[in-house]
Amino acid sequence: MTEISALIDGFGAALSPVNLLWALLGVTIGTAVGVLPGIGPALTVALLLPLTFRLDPAASLIMFAGIYYGGMYGGSTTSILLNTPGESASMVSALEGNKMARAGRGAAALAAAAIGSFVAGTIGTVGLTFLAPVVADFAVGFGPPEYVALMALAFVTVSALLGRSILRGAASLLIGVTIGLVGIDQQSGDARLAFGLPSLLDGIDVVVVVVALFALGETFSRLMHGTGGETVEPVRDRAVLSRSDWRRSWPAWLRGSALGFPIGSLPAGGAEVPTFLSYSVEKRLSKRREEFGHGAIEGVAGPEAANNAAAAGVLVPLLTIGLPTSATAAVILTAFQSYGLQPGPQLFSESGPLLWTLIASLYIGNVMLLVLNLPLVRMWARLLTIPAYAIYAAVLVFATLGTFASGGTTADLLILYALGLLALLMHAADVPIAPAVVGLILGPLLEQELRRALALSQGDPMILVSSPLTVVLWVLMALALALPLVAKTVRRDVGRTAAEEEPEQEAAGPPPAPRA
Amino acid sequence: MSATADTPDPRAAQHPAAGERAAQDPAAQPSAAPPAGAPGRPPAAPAPPPFDGGSDRRGHQATAALGALMAVFGVVVLADAASLGDGVGAALVGPGGFPMVVGVLLIGVGAALAVRALAALRTAPAGAPAAELKGRFLRLAALVGALVVFAVVLPYAGFTLSSALLFTAAALLLGAPHPWRTAAYGWTLAGVLFLLFDVLIGLSLPGGPWGF
Amino acid sequence: MTDPKPPSADAEGPPWRRAALRTGPFVAAAVVTVLLAGAAVAGADDEESHGFAQGEQFRLLAPADPGGGWDQTAREMQSALRDQVGRVEVYNVGGAGGTIGLNQYAQLPAEPTELMVTGLIMVGAIETSGSAVTMDDVTPLARLTTDYEIIVVPNDSPVRDTGDLVDLMREDLGAVSVAGGSAGGVEQILAGLIAQDIGADPAEVNYIAHAGGGEALATVLSGRATAAISGVSEILPQIEAGRLRPIAVSSTERLPALPDVPTLMEEGVDVELSNWRGVVAPAGITEEEERRLEELLMTMAESPAWRDALKRRGWEDAALAGPEFESFIESERDRTAEVLEQIGLT
Repeated sequence: MTEISALIDGFGAALSPVNLLWALLGVTIGTAVGVLPGIGPALTVALLLPLTFRLDPAASLIMFAGIYYGGMYGGSTTSILLNTPGESASMVSALEGNKMARAGRGAAALAAAAIGSFVAGTIGTVGLTFLAPVVADFAVGFGPPEYVALMALAFVTVSALLGRSILRGAASLLIGVTIGLVGIDQQSGDARLAFGLPSLLDGIDVVVVVVALFALGETFSRLMHGTGGETVEPVRDRAVLSRSDWRRSWPAWLRGSALGFPIGSLPAGGAEVPTFLSYSVEKRLSKRREEFGHGAIEGVAGPEAANNAAAAGVLVPLLTIGLPTSATAAVILTAFQSYGLQPGPQLFSESGPLLWTLIASLYIGNVMLLVLNLPLVRMWARLLTIPAYAIYAAVLVFATLGTFASGGTTADLLILYALGLLALLMHAADVPIAPAVVGLILGPLLEQELRRALALSQGDPMILVSSPLTVVLWVLMALALALPLVAKTVRRDVGRTAAEEEPEQEAAGPPPAPRA
Repeated sequence: MSATADTPDPRAAQHPAAGERAAQDPAAQPSAAPPAGAPGRPPAAPAPPPFDGGSDRRGHQATAALGALMAVFGVVVLADAASLGDGVGAALVGPGGFPMVVGVLLIGVGAALAVRALAALRTAPAGAPAAELKGRFLRLAALVGALVVFAVVLPYAGFTLSSALLFTAAALLLGAPHPWRTAAYGWTLAGVLFLLFDVLIGLSLPGGPWGF
Repeated sequence: MTDPKPPSADAEGPPWRRAALRTGPFVAAAVVTVLLAGAAVAGADDEESHGFAQGEQFRLLAPADPGGGWDQTAREMQSALRDQVGRVEVYNVGGAGGTIGLNQYAQLPAEPTELMVTGLIMVGAIETSGSAVTMDDVTPLARLTTDYEIIVVPNDSPVRDTGDLVDLMREDLGAVSVAGGSAGGVEQILAGLIAQDIGADPAEVNYIAHAGGGEALATVLSGRATAAISGVSEILPQIEAGRLRPIAVSSTERLPALPDVPTLMEEGVDVELSNWRGVVAPAGITEEEERRLEELLMTMAESPAWRDALKRRGWEDAALAGPEFESFIESERDRTAEVLEQIGLT
């Protein structure tokens, strides 16, 4: 049980006053940006990346992890009270949560979400504690061929799952990959797509891309569209759960965690799929199916738990294989790299104490978040009354600051603006943003590993299927490609008989069970 | 903002959502945009392929434009890849190999997006009227102008003043009601950020002649 | 305005609240202005209290992104120089092996307070990128540190020592894959030098480039690559943990940290290479200024803060200044240019 003793040492370090302060700062910022529409954890971590020049690794990684977890908590507040999910995987909670809030049960919905997030976050972190070292040991044997297969699998699933349609997801992914091509090629030293501009020689900084695609795209899009009146549902009573709420919630929390963590920790998933799955599972199992669509508490508790457990799961491939499967994970990977740390199988042996401190801080952060979010939820809800113009104008200031502070120049700012306009076009065309960020990070990795593999085999492509694991991964990829197509045909048949074909049915992945 | 608030734009209600999710949410669709596209669709005609997209003309136009842009970039990527050498030593896939594949895919996916969007355009309900669209683009141009001015002025005027100006311009364009109060907020925010990042954390931000 | 938060917000609530809403922003702005002015004044004081040339603050360019060896060198210099010259501003201009930073640095006026970190990688990158600005456009001051390279193989590899590796390379050069850092970097130069010495064609070395030592390590640990080359400080923990077998170091003498690992020369390969790092000043400074800067750096190299940094980072002390450093750069350039040309990277 070396993990246990390592974890105890980790707690020792994470409980130092300074690290507690960083964790508190992280979860507070995380909750705030999760609540505020227009800023997500990925963007926030990207903006704070320049801090890595100054802080020691433990401090900034603890803070970033706090932001990551906090964003999940805060997002649920927004989706419940405002019906516009403030953060990636919270949209399913909006389905039932907002209905509950409109019926005056907002406090109960918020409590179910917060406690569920805590339960699932803790279960997920326990899973991470025991799974990560095992996966890391296993992954030591991964060479270029295994990485190629892993990346290819992640590519297919990300474009299929993160978008409304495979075509749109693939378009976004390709845009990211293309941006990732810019700069000097690692294997040959040749400059690609730099057009002789010195500021493009070293590639476009991940911070610039993330900030442009998220912050600028969102602000431009806001400027172009404006919004109708959003109503913030008031929180009437204290955030407590009645006895029957508890009875209905806890199985949903556990089921959500059981779905969320394994799917999140696959080198493919992200946090979106398990929330959909959890929603439909809860709906199917509930004795009060008629309440679904009108504010069923299970429909909040399950997906929220799934969301947070998956968020912990995503850290498994990130830390042990160096494979980010969500936008926030991709940015956190960059944070590791700016310390010269390469997430991967060696990370546990090289930087064990740091990692265990980080994992211990996740437990602590979860407790802090529960305290921050249950009694103080009204304070967070007040953030929603900040006028949109102020939020977006501030986002612009943060965005330009983040770009400039990451070693930027005027040229970097102009690149930022150009990419922001691209993101506006993507918004208008309803092309999702997150796959582009994943493509930006994974694209160059896939290319380099592919070329390394072929160099190792002196050009024999059979090296790509030279181990049992690679074969398994390629088969999985083929299945991931085929599944949405099969599901689509099946659903089309069902749709024909039911004579109600809704546009969103083209979405890949599990059906989100549209409300009746 | 007042101009667009009452537009029957099915996407408007959806858009304030955060970046990561805003545009890719299958589940929120029924709640956020009750089939706004449906009324315009003649029930007798066979339903167009459920090619989601912004379900009005503007959305399809944007999709077509993005597709075309991707295809053009695909050609650029291919041209760039063709200009690269074969690489050195035993590297069998040169620096141009992977970009070739990306270029071809860009052209393919871009063309597919554009073609499908153009096909859907024929049956799609009209979006925002042209006059209003012009106003929106003017505001966008003004904001981009403000950003460019910020980039140019930053090294000379220092971080605090430039950022305060950027905040004020952006907030006013987004519909802030009180110019002076907004400027005061902008100055406060920029000043706090300067104190936090430059003085406390020690990242050097451009100072301007007066040191902030 | 149909804003969700209409301007009527300040028409609600008791009078004091309305007043606070109206004047609050301006009060806050005034407070911030005072703080800013205070910080600016305090900062100016700080700069004047120390000082070297006319009390001006030193600026040190790290021509790489934060986190790498040059950045670490610059940051350690920043703290080691604090006692002598006060606060040193470190800034990063990364990219293209330091040549982007070098190009920008060459534009600066000939001020003795503008310094830049440099090293072998920059000398190589000037050759590979065909940069118009070269080391002739700066004034070399001093070499400070060096990090030797080490060759490792997986634990279960049939390769026991350098002799085995050389035999394999003579047999079929392409079948011997060598993992290491980026193309044209120190590791590839070393691989090329070894090939050159054993009479093979450096261009035919099957060199697998990686973003850094960590990634190269993953490839060699998976058993897919024959050997890996890495900086000693980067890979030392893995060697101590017994996960890799070191077969040779690139230094002229055995390293204190690895007394059992022979040098390449001992093993009959006449190659030595060190990933050195140093400092340069702009071209056009006076000889007096150059002498004073060299003294300053040599004093810093003796300081406890710097000694401590060397130990923490695992760097070897390689202090060398004046004409010796200049002729050292010359010879490094010639050697690097030759091997890079043979590899086909120029």
